[in-house]
Amino acid sequence: MAKGRQLKGRIRSVQNTRKITKTMELVATSKLKRAQDRVVAARPYAAALREVIADLVTPELAERFPLLRRPAAPGKGGPRRAAIILITSNRGLAGGFNANLIKEARRRMEALEAEGYEPELYGIGKKGIGFFRYLGRKFATERVDIGDRPTADHAAEVVQPLIEAYERGELASVDLVYAQFQSAISTPPATVRILPVAAPEAKAAEKGIRPDYILEPGPDELLAKLLPLYVRNALYRGLVETAAGEHGARRTAMKNATDNAGEILEVLKRTYNRQRQAAITQEISEIVGGAAALQG
Amino acid sequence: MHVTVISPEAAMFDGEADAVVAPAFDGEVGILPRHAPFMTLLGTGTLVVRQGGTARRFSVRGGFLQVVDDRVRVVTEHVQGAPDEA
Repeated sequence: MAKGRQLKGRIRSVQNTRKITKTMELVATSKLKRAQDRVVAARPYAAALREVIADLVTPELAERFPLLRRPAAPGKGGPRRAAIILITSNRGLAGGFNANLIKEARRRMEALEAEGYEPELYGIGKKGIGFFRYLGRKFATERVDIGDRPTADHAAEVVQPLIEAYERGELASVDLVYAQFQSAISTPPATVRILPVAAPEAKAAEKGIRPDYILEPGPDELLAKLLPLYVRNALYRGLVETAAGEHGARRTAMKNATDNAGEILEVLKRTYNRQRQAAITQEISEIVGGAAALQG
Repeated sequence: MHVTVISPEAAMFDGEADAVVAPAFDGEVGILPRHAPFMTLLGTGTLVVRQGGTARRFSVRGGFLQVVDDRVRVVTEHVQGAPDEA
């Protein structure tokens, strides 16, 4: 029965693993719900900022704001440094979630290098940082303390130095690699350029500032204050969406793991029972055979 | 008039109000219904939204206030609800 005992051990081990993955699935589901609420709650603010900036930006103003201006190419005396902010999760076991984000970041880095820039990495989240550290790449900053409850202050802390460097003309661009939260089961990695700011387009009907609009102070000062808000909010949204995406991806991964464990269990149990039955049948036939030999 | 107070994390207030007093960058501004289209930067201070006899207070820092079509929108990164006063 040595084989049978081994099978029993495996069955127990798979059962325990299934218990863990099932629990992780449930935990991810409840965290996902809260993270999803945060994504939704972040929308009105982003929409309000976008609308107002679209109202204020005019082509003449755009030339005067460093955050809106596109710097010269590196070959023509422009800055060579290009920042990439990579957001990943702090924990694994979320399927291909982090791997996809890392792949996206590497693709972006290669594209920038091909254009003659020197990409600089700003890491948020243990998984991405761990991977690039393993490759021997240095991070300009590493943040692992943000976790899955990001705040606007977190975003400001990370992006503020970049905004300042960009205004001084030291940075050519700032890209953000994050997970887009389309739905709980679709969280594709995405790259957005947060600097220079791509000014949002106003709806055609409302183009330009309405003549009766009272602006205090002037449009220049307003834009100067609002553009950094806009950039900070872009990162905040990246953080919130990635956090929600992480839980969505983990739930899917753990659901698959639980289902697979169930399938394996079924096969193992069937094998075990068949073996047990075979052993019993054999024993009976041995006894019957022995009895027949004694009689004869 | 309709008033919304929005921070990146959540909409803090969304409803009708009779008057809004906000800390603009250069002093307080009061907004009453049918105000002309208006936009101003906010400083640091207390935002008061009055409705009937009650008032909701928020402490805000930075951001802006916008009035368009009798809708007031306060958009700020730092806002905290303060206890209501009667």
